[in-house]
Amino acid sequence: MSIQTPEAPTTLPPAEPPKKAKTGRRSIFLRRPFFTIALIVAAAYVLAAIFAPFVAPYDPVMQDINAMMQAPSVAHPLGTDSYGQDILSRVIYGARYALIIGIFSVLIGAAGGLVIGLAAGLSGGWLEWALMRLIDSILALPSLILAVAFIAILGQGVDKVVVAVGLSMIGPFARTVRADVMQVRVQLFVEAATLMSIPYLKVIWRHVLPNVIFPLAVQVTIRISEAILVSSSLSFLGIGVTPPTPDWGLMIAEGRAFVSFAAWMSAMPGFALALLLIALSIVGDGIREEFDPKLRRGA
Amino acid sequence: MWGQALGKIAQTLVVLFVVSVASFGLLKLAPGDPIQIMLGSEYSQEAYESLTAELGLDQPFLAQYADWAVRFVQGDWGTSYVARTDIFTYAFKEALPVTLTLASFSLAFAILIGVPLGVLSAVKKDTAFDAGAAVLALTGTAFPSFLLGILLIWFFAVKMQLFPVMGYVSPWQDFWGGIYHMILPGLTLSTYFIAMITRLTRATLIEVMEQPYIAAARARGEPSWRVIWVHGVRNIAMPLVTILGLQLGVLLQGTVLTETVFNLPGIGQMLTSAVLGREYMVVQAGVMMTATLFIGVNLLVDLSYPFLDPRLRARK
Amino acid sequence: MTKVDHKKVLAERLSARFGRRAVLKGMGAGLLTAAASTGAPGIARAQQSGHLKIASIKVIDTLDPHFTGFLSAIQIINNIHNGLLKIAYDGTNVSFEPDLAETWDLEDDKTHVFKLREGVMFHDGTPCNAEAVKFSLLRVKEGEPKSPHAWKLALLDEIEIIDDLTFKLHFSQPYAFLPVALNGSTGRAGTIVSPAAVQKYGADYGRNPVGTGPFKFVSWRENDAIELEANTEYFEEGLPKLERVTFVLMNEASTALAALMAGQIDGMTDCPMQLVDQVDAFPNATLYGEIEGNYTFVGMNCARAPFDDINLRRAVAWALDRETLVKQAYFGRAQQAYTPISPPMTDFFDPNIATSGRGQWFDLEKAKEFRAKAANQGEVEVTYMMAERGPVGTRVAQTVAPMLAQIGIKANLELIEPAAWVKRRNEGDFDLYDFEWVADLDPDETLYPEFRSDGAWNFGKWINTEFDELCAQAQVVLEPEARKELYYKAEDLLMDEAGIAVMAHMPIYKVFSNKVQGFEYIPADLVNLHTVSLA
Repeated sequence: MSIQTPEAPTTLPPAEPPKKAKTGRRSIFLRRPFFTIALIVAAAYVLAAIFAPFVAPYDPVMQDINAMMQAPSVAHPLGTDSYGQDILSRVIYGARYALIIGIFSVLIGAAGGLVIGLAAGLSGGWLEWALMRLIDSILALPSLILAVAFIAILGQGVDKVVVAVGLSMIGPFARTVRADVMQVRVQLFVEAATLMSIPYLKVIWRHVLPNVIFPLAVQVTIRISEAILVSSSLSFLGIGVTPPTPDWGLMIAEGRAFVSFAAWMSAMPGFALALLLIALSIVGDGIREEFDPKLRRGA
Repeated sequence: MWGQALGKIAQTLVVLFVVSVASFGLLKLAPGDPIQIMLGSEYSQEAYESLTAELGLDQPFLAQYADWAVRFVQGDWGTSYVARTDIFTYAFKEALPVTLTLASFSLAFAILIGVPLGVLSAVKKDTAFDAGAAVLALTGTAFPSFLLGILLIWFFAVKMQLFPVMGYVSPWQDFWGGIYHMILPGLTLSTYFIAMITRLTRATLIEVMEQPYIAAARARGEPSWRVIWVHGVRNIAMPLVTILGLQLGVLLQGTVLTETVFNLPGIGQMLTSAVLGREYMVVQAGVMMTATLFIGVNLLVDLSYPFLDPRLRARK
Repeated sequence: MTKVDHKKVLAERLSARFGRRAVLKGMGAGLLTAAASTGAPGIARAQQSGHLKIASIKVIDTLDPHFTGFLSAIQIINNIHNGLLKIAYDGTNVSFEPDLAETWDLEDDKTHVFKLREGVMFHDGTPCNAEAVKFSLLRVKEGEPKSPHAWKLALLDEIEIIDDLTFKLHFSQPYAFLPVALNGSTGRAGTIVSPAAVQKYGADYGRNPVGTGPFKFVSWRENDAIELEANTEYFEEGLPKLERVTFVLMNEASTALAALMAGQIDGMTDCPMQLVDQVDAFPNATLYGEIEGNYTFVGMNCARAPFDDINLRRAVAWALDRETLVKQAYFGRAQQAYTPISPPMTDFFDPNIATSGRGQWFDLEKAKEFRAKAANQGEVEVTYMMAERGPVGTRVAQTVAPMLAQIGIKANLELIEPAAWVKRRNEGDFDLYDFEWVADLDPDETLYPEFRSDGAWNFGKWINTEFDELCAQAQVVLEPEARKELYYKAEDLLMDEAGIAVMAHMPIYKVFSNKVQGFEYIPADLVNLHTVSLA
């Protein structure tokens, strides 16, 4: 769902002709301080994920029976969980799983959505009708329930969660892709290209795809957050990522039994998750506003 | 006109058919069955086979599906395998009202909080208030709703003793009691929508305020509250309704978690426990209801455009 | 008199089965009290008052006692129904007391004569007579569809009705009444249901239970609540004290705890171990619970590689650090187990088992010795299946995995859904899993059906015919000391060959707010509410 962006009108003065990309890029960090901060935060998460073994003070699955459920201290800045595992280390490693699940499941969803959406948008007749009904059907099933069903079939674990969440996201992607294809299809340059008897596939490749890919990429940035949230919801329901994997959703779910006296067990991974999602959403907005051809045209 | 309506109905039926086959098939693919779960650790092969045959679970997949479909169409939704619940009563009479109540409360919260917040943000564009509202909105979308629910319970219900921890009271029987029990779950479920509506309202209103008719209204000397709240906000309705219709799926999915945390006996809890317990027919009932709801609401959204936007009416 | 002799033998045997000298005493006294209290019905009864709300966190499958597989369902069923006998507990001793029976004699070693209380009515107004008892017992034994508890009455040959309240049970083996006695008391095979209601509701009896119990069934809303109301015609005078009971059905334990702390509910039928510390710290609620007749273990699949290798199994059995397990997986609440026989079986449990040299315990050196003898000397990779089920979910698996790593076994923890877990357990599709056998009162129950070579519950397929013979022999031996010897031998075989790695005996908890008075704790996971009142 492309939600209109808050800053769009202010940052793109309508009177001004579009600047060259180079100058635009140079100033974006100055023009958008929130974007810059969010980008730094998101980058920090990515770095933490990549270099987790060097950054984390402990092994994320090292149990210490003498340090169970300790409040945040110097030795354990974010406290320990009910196995004596260091929460800071688990949060840092958790960034890996969050990003892996977020990115790869969305890629699966986007790829599936692209194929079905393109096919539905470009084909006609009964095939289009059938594909549209297929998309409607996927959309009509709540994606969390779909993900639960897929997990039931596939089994559990990070890879399975990626596939299950990815499959359950195909519907929304397919719909936006198809909508974009429909818009492009009727535009003059496509008709012109077709009239010039340029091969069909080439028209798609040269003219349709580029106009579909960009909004799709925007969707991807938005839906990464959704994928991470759905995967953590699965953990809450007791399925999904396998413990003791340092996954945030799992940590939140496990810590909920101790909320009244050890709130940090759920709260720390919860904040880590929220911070990442906030950063991703600001970054996503910023990128969209800067580069979305539609918004620029509109402005 | 009638042809179009028939087409829509045909489409809806096809979609419901595909959905029912898909959900039945998906769950049958998953390992495990209700009898094994029912027998627990007191497992014996004879009892297993006897009960399986009794419940018709030894039939081939297609036969089971056909049997279910024929009965379902006739209004016989069946009984659950293990607890022998009458599914129509359970799903339609008991669970559906709970979920609808929760969903409408959340929507009401979202609109009552989100629209004013968005309008004020737009009016006070680029002020501290605007930034604050933006941060609030972002946080709302970023927190997993189950964590939020648990934190709300511990703070507002246990520590402050302001609201009940859990449970459902029908607002039709006890209006204030119903509202009282819905405040925390409604708030939990609505955070995402508050955020979305705030952002949408703000963006749309900023755009609207630059339109000529707003300038015209101002020029007529109408007070600025009237310009904003009447002429401006009127134009928010359409994009808002569209987005809400499309996001109904997200709302229904949010009810799964909210209902679990606050122990509300709605469709969300029904569906999760049925999927995990392999109660095939309960899952079917739940899926058919949510799918119908989803399709129906989106149809309504389509139909409501002419009412919301006078320009569309004029064109007809 | 031969009659008396038979009763004495049975009593001794019961005592042996239950491992409590007090059973004898309890039985005699119980019979007397029952006889004494059978006054004329219609004496002024106590006015019922109060509405108790209690959270039930586990699955309720059905309220049909003859078909349920869950103790959580029996907790409710037992408030609606009665058995011929019931379990009582005075704080130290478990005893059997007559429930619907007024007298109970043995004609010979295979024939039991029962006389029922007079004037007891089912909630639907039909009388609870000999016919009703016969109906219920036959429903379990040979009803269609088959009851999962049918095997408990396999030895029952004939039910002979003498008059309206008197009947005889003929068994094919001497003193074979025990399975009914055992299981009737906790609400399954020996529970008496209303024949009229079964005929009326058929397969839907489980949603419309009609018994003789202190509470009548009112309604059951899925995922919401089961409502009961007082049976004002209940045969025990002055009981029940409550007017209404609501079992609030919940999926989320932490919400139940929050509701208890906020005073929205008055108790929990089960307190998951991770919440116990919080309940302890909460001043307005009381925890009821002791170590009950159960044991938890890591099960190994003896039927396939790599755990068909006895040395590898032994290595696992000696590599588990039980102290850490108790602390970390069971929050320090459980008690280390050396063998399956649990502390409440006082005639069989050895209080000095820790120093007796019997059983399994943590000895890493020994584990490594066995590991060195194992066929596979490379790193062994195995699948450990776990699910969010049981008293502590995946905690055992998470705690055990690093311990196995120390002896070169890489346990891949595989989280599966409870439904799939049950399926794979029953089909023997696993290398490792952890499980618990609970609510046992007797060594026979605790060992034989679980590990007999052809047993349906022997999921790990540990085969040892000597074990089978020892257990079968112990069933017919009466002298407790001799029985104990046989069970010790059987246990030693199981422990030595490491069919399982035994871990702990667990306490089972219930919680009630301090407003709730008169709850009688029985260490068989029961929540009988007839004596409970609200302050």
